[in-house]
Formats: sequence, structure tokens, C-alpha cells
Amino acid sequence: MIRGLWDRETVALILLAALLPMALAWLWLDAGDAAGRLLFALAVTGVWHLVFMFARAQPPSLSFALSALAVAILAPEGLGPVQMILGISFGTVMGELAFGGWGRNVVAPATVTLAFLGFGFPAAPWPDLVPPLAWAAIPAAAIGIVTGVMPGGVIAGAVLAGAVAVAAGIAPAPLVHAGAVVLVLLVADPVASAATTLGRWLNGLLYAGLLLIFAQGWTGAAPVQMAVAAALLASLAAPLFDEAAIAFWIARRRTRHGGP
Amino acid sequence: MLGLATRAGLSPRFPSPPEPGGEAAETITEEAAVTPPPGPSLRVDVLAEEGAAVAAGAPVARLRDAPEVVFTASMPAIVGNVRLGRGRRLTEIVLFRETAGDRFEQPEALRSAADPRPLMLAAGAWPLLRRRPFGGMPDPGEGPAAIVVMAADTRPFAPDPRQAIEGREEAFARGLHALSALTEGPVFVCTSPGKPLVEKGNGAVRQITGGPRHPQGLAGIRIHDLCPARIDAPVWDIHAEDVAAIGHLVETGMMPATRLVRLAGAALREGRLVRTQPGADLRGLSHGATRPGGHVLLSGSPLDGHPAHWLGARDRQVTVLPREEKPGPRHWFVEALTGTARAAPAIPTEALRQAFGGGMPGVALIRALSAGDDETAIRLGVLSLLEEDVALADYALGGAHLPELLRRVLSRIEAEMAP
Repeated sequence: MIRGLWDRETVALILLAALLPMALAWLWLDAGDAAGRLLFALAVTGVWHLVFMFARAQPPSLSFALSALAVAILAPEGLGPVQMILGISFGTVMGELAFGGWGRNVVAPATVTLAFLGFGFPAAPWPDLVPPLAWAAIPAAAIGIVTGVMPGGVIAGAVLAGAVAVAAGIAPAPLVHAGAVVLVLLVADPVASAATTLGRWLNGLLYAGLLLIFAQGWTGAAPVQMAVAAALLASLAAPLFDEAAIAFWIARRRTRHGGP
Repeated sequence: MLGLATRAGLSPRFPSPPEPGGEAAETITEEAAVTPPPGPSLRVDVLAEEGAAVAAGAPVARLRDAPEVVFTASMPAIVGNVRLGRGRRLTEIVLFRETAGDRFEQPEALRSAADPRPLMLAAGAWPLLRRRPFGGMPDPGEGPAAIVVMAADTRPFAPDPRQAIEGREEAFARGLHALSALTEGPVFVCTSPGKPLVEKGNGAVRQITGGPRHPQGLAGIRIHDLCPARIDAPVWDIHAEDVAAIGHLVETGMMPATRLVRLAGAALREGRLVRTQPGADLRGLSHGATRPGGHVLLSGSPLDGHPAHWLGARDRQVTVLPREEKPGPRHWFVEALTGTARAAPAIPTEALRQAFGGGMPGVALIRALSAGDDETAIRLGVLSLLEEDVALADYALGGAHLPELLRRVLSRIEAEMAP
């Protein structure tokens, strides 16, 4: 009869609005064919959503624009259209649509796409993210946290670990820039990250921790590559963190109230 | 206390015209009905013939399976239509008001605060109690693990329970005393911030102060936090005004004639705060206050109310909404874009976390409910919850069928595990 507005599509729209500062900064700064890459990624992702709508009666989601944007910003450069179509199709179908659409997936489809492109075409160079783009991640995260569509705990955990690393002098600037952009675009997806407060903090800490470990030991990798790998592993660990947080919550309740 | 932070929750806003201030007017409608409390349907023996005159507080029906439990008339009346479903299940007993009628007084011998159970059963006060798990009225012989008295109500437009019991502190204290005789466990009085309602050192009675936002003033959220209900340890809840009514009953042998009820909603010309009888006719209450055009009368709040003709057994709110036109057929493409067999998944947002009061893993609970994972749902505390407790989350998510999913899980647990 009367309905609130936090349904799936509204959340997707607010997330899109939160990412607008980054999208605009990226379109403004990129000398190449940023708009072309974005349109291409939108088209391929959108086609797969339509295919699943017609074939499986699975309603499409505006979240396809979120993953297309992340892929367009972070994908390795110099890949041909066939390679891009392969990567985006794999990520969209196997990462999201096969699970039942946005909200039922485990890993963000953009993360799967980028990991696939990174593993499949290791010769392609990863993009260098310019500092203004990383600065644009700050308002994006702020809008996301204030409207409550981005998990505040994940971002806080990652920023905390990052601040410690910067203070200790083990995080070079390019790594911080890539880490911030990937944090907002991939890790802070409300679906692919942990859903409990404790789980979210652990999720954010793990992402930043993995990124730092890669920075110390993974020679020859680009900062964006490290960040995408850290994002993939962190979202794979998110259900585990949730399970642990809920087990802890139940144990605490049991000591307080007794009972089975 | 772990769990509920005082600021947690949401304050959903709904359109409603302002109230013309002043004292709550006493409005007794010409018709009223005896209706069963929400929960499993109840088989009854009707004690008053159609057309018979009954005094206020006189018994009109009793349960077949537990004849101690009696339903009483809320005003002196002529019994009108008695509507029973199949198997003599109570639907409604309509009463027409009789101004000259008198009041039925419970015998002096029953009026004992040390053992109020027979008095509450005989005076029709038993349906004011609600048990968890599974909801509904408790069995007459049941002993709860705890009783939660709700002296706070954060539902949108809910009348303030503090105002309802203002000037009746003595009756409230007497009612609390009587309630504490019903349980071996504690009696929690949940209030909004303000002056204390319970004197310090009052035995098993403890006052718990909660925040101002919904759902902190809901019994289920409180029970989930304070004393989770289990199948072998039921927890009862009751409204503070009803506790004062029980105090009044113990003192005088009669239930009070009225309760504080608020009318609100977008289809009203002016809001109303009235004192009216239980089971009042909703059309009588809203008469002269509605805007022109079709409207729907809900017994309950905009979040958890349901269309009704009579004020529900425990309800203290009436919501009047404009009637919505049935939407026409949509284009097949729009239908394909939005319509599905399965509801769209809930995205974990801050709004959803706050809709559960911030203290419980709401996303995990929703996933367990939609997947039908009863064991996980029990571990997450679903036995303390009823439909009204997930109504806010359902509203926030734009309609995710959470109350229906919750009822399905509860019914299955009841069928499989309850003795």
C-alpha cells in the first residue's frame, strides 16, 4: 500500500549517483577514448542482462552500469574488442547473472571481469590512475556512506589500515591511488562485501592488508593489478567474515540469555 | 547493555493532517464488535443470543477448548449479528450501543492482585496479552518466562502510552503488581525517555528506556534484545494502558470503558486523538473527518495495519488512506523488466540495518527467511518476532513480502517443533 524506497533499483541508482564524481573526473581527465570504452562496456553488459531477461525471466538491474563503469576505468589497456567482449561476458554471466542477478551474487561482476582479463591477457598493460581520480574517490565514498548504500565499515577498515601503512612509509603513492579507486568501485559494493558490522571491518582490513602484502612481494605487478587481486580475494572471504561475525553474535547472546 | 543503541532506528514520515490539540475527546461509537485477537482462529461458544441486552463487561462468548477464557462486551449493548466461521470459529459479534444499559461488575472474591489470573480470564482481559513465539493469545494455564510491558510505541502516529496512563499511575502500579504474580521471571517495562514509571526496588519489575525511533518501541525488538522467546520459554507482551486497565479491574471489578486511539492518514481532513471503546467501529470514529473520495480504513499503523471494520483487539491506531485505483494492464516489456516469480533480493544497506533496530543481523535473517532455513532463523532469534516487527524492514525495502515469509517460517517451526 505504502512503500519505502530502498529496493534494489533505488540502491543501484544511488550507487550510480555516488560514483558520478569519479566517472566525471575520469571522463574529463582521460585523453584517450574513455567515453568509447564506457559505451562499449555498457553495451556488452546490458546485452547480457537483456539475454537473461528474455531467456530466464530474470529482471535486469541498473547495477549493470556500475560494473560497466568499473570495467571501463580499470580494464587493462590495448585489448581488442573480442578480448573485451570475452572478459565482460565471462564476468557478467559467471559472476552475477548465473547466480540470479545483482543481490544474489558472491563476487562483483566487474571484479571477475578484471581478474579474468588480468589472468587471460597478462601482456596487456594496466592503466595508470591519475591522482585526481583517486581524490574523486573521496566524495564518492562520502556520498555512499552518508546515504548508507556503501558499507561504511569496509571503507573505514581499509582507510584505517591504509593510513597506518602510509604513516609507516610502506605504501607508495600510486598504490594508494589505485587502492582508493578500487576500494570505491569494487570492494565497497554492498552485495559483494560483508553484511555485518564486524564482518565489514574485517573485510576492509583484509583488502588493505592483502594490497600491502602484494606491494611488498609481488614484483612486476601494476598497482591496479594488485588492487584488483586484493579485491577479488577480499570479496571471496566476505561470506566467511559474515559467518564468523554471526557465530560470535550468537555466542554472545547465548552467554547473556542462556538457552540452546 | 549490548545491542540497541539509543539512536538506532528510522523515522519514516507519512502524510497526515495536523490534530486540533487539546484533550482527547471521548468518542463512543454506536456500533462495536467483539473480534478475536490476531493469531490462530478461535472456536467459541456464544453466550449471548442475537437481540439480547448485555451490560458492559458482561461475557458474550467463551473459548470451546478453554472455557475459562471469556470475551466480554465493551459497552452496554444489544447483541446484533453473531458471525461465526466454520467450526464455530469467531469472526465477529456486533454490538449496538444501549445508552441506558448498566455495567457488569466482577465479584469481590475474584479481585485479587496476588492471583489475578481468574479475574483477567473472567473479565475478558486475557486477549490483551500476546505470547511469543508464534503470536496469539496465551493458553490460560501458561506461565511465561518474562512479561514485557510496552510503555513506548514508536510506530508512526502511535498515541503516546505515557499520555494514555497519565493520571492513572496508581492503577498502572497495581497492574504491574498483578502481572508479576503471573510469572516467575522478570517484568520489563519498556519506556521512552522521560520520568520513571517504575519505583526503584520494585522486586522483579525493571524499567528499560529505549530510543525514540522505530522499531525501538516494538515489543518484538525489545524481547529479542532482553529475553528471547523460546518454544519452551514463552514471553508475553502487553501494552502499558492495558496494564493500567488490569489495575483498574483489580480495584473495581470492571475494565475501563475506553482506550486512547489516534486517527491519522492522508485521507483525513484533520487528525483525531480520541478515547473510545475497544472494538470500536472505524467508520464511526472517522465520521466527518475524512476527505471526499474513496478511502481505506486500517486498524493499526501505516506500516503494519490491515484493512478492517472494527478496531483490532490490541490496536490503538486507525490509519485512513486514500483508496488507490487498480493499476491498468502494463506493457509486456515493463512487465518483463519488473515482474518476477521471486522477489528481488534485499541489498544490505544502512536503511535495512536500522530497520531492524541496528542490533540484529537483519540481512542474515532475511536470507534465512527467504531460503526457508528454519534452524538459522531460530538461531538468529526469529521466535521472538512477529509480523509487526519486520513490517518496517518490509516497508524500507519497498515490499519484500517479509511478514508473509516470517509467518511461513513460524508456522513450519510450530508444526514441526512445538509440543
